[in-house]
Amino acid sequence: MPKTIFLVDDSATILLSISSILTKAGYAVEKAANAEEALKKFGAGVKVDLLVTDLNMPGMNGIELIKEVRKLPAYKFMPILFLTTESQQSRKMEAKAAGASGWIVKPATADELLNTIKLVIR
Amino acid sequence: MDELTSTFVTESRDLLAEMEAGLLRLEQAPDDRDNLNAIFRAAHTIKGGSGVIECRYIERFMHKVENLLDLLRNDALPVTPELATLLLACSDHLGTLLDVLTAGLEAPDAATSARGEKLEAQLSACLPCEEAGAVPVEQAPDVKASGGGVVSLDGWHISVRFGRDVLRNGMDPLSFLRYLATLGEIVSIETIADAMPDAAAMDPESCHLGFEIRFQTRASKDEIEHVFEFVRDDCTLRILPPRSKIDDYIALINDLPEDAMRLGEMLVRCGALTQAELDHGLAVQRAPGAAEGEPLAAPPIGEVLVEQQVVHREVVEAAASRQATVSQKKAAEARLVRVQADKLDQLIDLVGELVIAGANANLLAHQSGRGALIESTSVLTRLVEDIRDAALQLRMVQIGETFGRFNRVVRDASRELGKEIELVITGAETELDKSVVEKLGDPLMHLVRNALDHGIEPPAVRAAHGKPEAGQIALNAYHDSGSIVIEVSDDGAGLPREKIRRKAIERGLIDETAALSDQELVNLIFEAGFSTAEQVTNISGRGVGMDVVRRNIQGLRGAVDVRTTEGEGSTFTIRLPLTLAIIDGFLVGIGNASWVVPLDSVVECIELPGAADTRDYLNLRGEVLPLVRLREMFEVGGEVPARQNVVVVQYAGHKAGLVVDALLGEFQTVIKPLGALFSKLRGIGGSTILGSGEVALILDVPALVELVASAQGRTHGEPRTRDLRAVP
Repeated sequence: MPKTIFLVDDSATILLSISSILTKAGYAVEKAANAEEALKKFGAGVKVDLLVTDLNMPGMNGIELIKEVRKLPAYKFMPILFLTTESQQSRKMEAKAAGASGWIVKPATADELLNTIKLVIR
Repeated sequence: MDELTSTFVTESRDLLAEMEAGLLRLEQAPDDRDNLNAIFRAAHTIKGGSGVIECRYIERFMHKVENLLDLLRNDALPVTPELATLLLACSDHLGTLLDVLTAGLEAPDAATSARGEKLEAQLSACLPCEEAGAVPVEQAPDVKASGGGVVSLDGWHISVRFGRDVLRNGMDPLSFLRYLATLGEIVSIETIADAMPDAAAMDPESCHLGFEIRFQTRASKDEIEHVFEFVRDDCTLRILPPRSKIDDYIALINDLPEDAMRLGEMLVRCGALTQAELDHGLAVQRAPGAAEGEPLAAPPIGEVLVEQQVVHREVVEAAASRQATVSQKKAAEARLVRVQADKLDQLIDLVGELVIAGANANLLAHQSGRGALIESTSVLTRLVEDIRDAALQLRMVQIGETFGRFNRVVRDASRELGKEIELVITGAETELDKSVVEKLGDPLMHLVRNALDHGIEPPAVRAAHGKPEAGQIALNAYHDSGSIVIEVSDDGAGLPREKIRRKAIERGLIDETAALSDQELVNLIFEAGFSTAEQVTNISGRGVGMDVVRRNIQGLRGAVDVRTTEGEGSTFTIRLPLTLAIIDGFLVGIGNASWVVPLDSVVECIELPGAADTRDYLNLRGEVLPLVRLREMFEVGGEVPARQNVVVVQYAGHKAGLVVDALLGEFQTVIKPLGALFSKLRGIGGSTILGSGEVALILDVPALVELVASAQGRTHGEPRTRDLRAVP
């Protein structure tokens, strides 16, 4: 049974590139283009092993999404990674405080991405 | 080609251009470290990307290139002109490989593969036979302080106490161990559960665990530390390198919350220390300062490491400063956003709609006569104008990249032609619309090649004329009242007027008796089929390019002009509008409809004399002006007004008069392209929407002028032949 990774990003290109890397590595991928859509799927009880979300999105941002997801009992211990850039140190702290497990620094190579994911899920 | 591949190709082409510019700089400044690093980074990123899209032939080739660049970067190999030439050839080959990828082929064809293999062989020849051994591991400096000997076991020791929230943040402590195991071998592990409270008081969601790990690996300390990166802020982590001093272990014992003796036992059990070492260490610890005046305090980790000579201070500082520059660089990269061009086009389109809607609101406000409303709409109008300018600015790119390409062209051509030529670029930061830049490459290439080939004389000729042997070609760009001006100049021979004249007569372009001004004479080179090159070379070909240059530039609503002085050189000046999305228009009315004539083609406006009502031409101060009756041409209905007007337009030296009902004045307008359905329509170039919401069509002046010019030719010059021609 492949692990399912839920990708949330408003950029279609990022969704496409990351999901293609993940699919090639044997993961199942769920996608959402914004936090609201993602939250709706979480509310419906989608089966997810890892959430990877962008922080800057129109509408609800990634940090709010993380907070909301952590409130749902079913996802209390689910690993959450967020996409960030080197310059966003303060956002990193904020996201961790909101309940994120770790982060992926953009731009990441496929190896970096997969290694980070391997760190948080089996 | 899928989206990811096209993203990769676009990115790689940009990087390739960067790499090539860097390689050219490399010849001038072989010691420029930043430049070398930039070249390496570009190659590395391309290789990385090719791996992501699984394009093996690019990945394999770039791997070799990257290896060589890495050696250059690390001073393992000196930069020589031969190497620079080889690397330039490699970047050319990469361009070809990208073409192969773009064409969607599985693999490059045989010729390309052969060239690639040859280059790879050349690259391999430059590399020293497989590097001897890995990068030297950081040598632990000799220990001069006391506190016991060096622990002889060859392995890392990792001591970690997790924060309470690790589980709540979705991390499994075991996942770190699992990941660590992928880096090397976990020799032994002791779980520290001392922090675990009584069962009744225990919160099962909190983590109370810690580990003492004995770890064998070839990974660096950085890599090990990286494993714990996500929890480093809220856990206690100490990593001791192999052959650490007992002091370090003692410090570790001191730092951690567990009972010193118990932790000591743990260390012994997991093989980090022997019992004897521990005993000795603890004995020293109990008598601080007694042993050899060496106090065992617990200052911050970095200080401790340096003080205890686990690592050199220089190493720590170098690492810290390097980290800082890397993050700065990343930040600069992050400030750039790659946006698809059609998204921008869509934005500009919407802004166009906004301008129109704004004009409509403004109109209604004025009609209502309410002061407050008028004031508020005028503020709105100003903001909309600002937005329009800002949106157009988004599509602006610097011309430098286009100019930069010519470094290579000039370098290669000057070698091939045996001339010494220097390229001087100024105004590279001048910005213009991306769609204009894209179409500017070819005409510029023609002009530069012409200058290289026909302009600059061979060194011997130059010397004979008392000029420096090295010729100079200059590219310059600047803004001038709403348009951009690009100059291509050379200090070569200039255009030979007599030769041009003779040639033009020979080609039947002018009469032998024609009296032409200098300027008119020189501009003959832009006529079709004109060439003065006596020798055809593969640099500028047959010189048929100049009329193409003019046509291309005119296609961009621009103009090209040449100034030349024999013996001193020539300057080609291209003048272009800043953007293709907005034009200054002249609004005219025919019947109920409005039409827009691009203002730059309007020469003058006159009233249509009553006598010309039935004729198709007009006497304009002694000149025959053919008329285009737009009302008839576009079949506009309605009454012909008593007084009609003529807008005199000019294109490519030909004039025509457009007969319209009313002249409505100048205004700036956003061009909206016509749909595919109308693409075959002659005489109309686009449309725009007026403030009132009405559509106005934009006239295609070149097409209209051409229409009357050819109609004239038929009625006056060709009827006879046409009548005689048999219908097939």
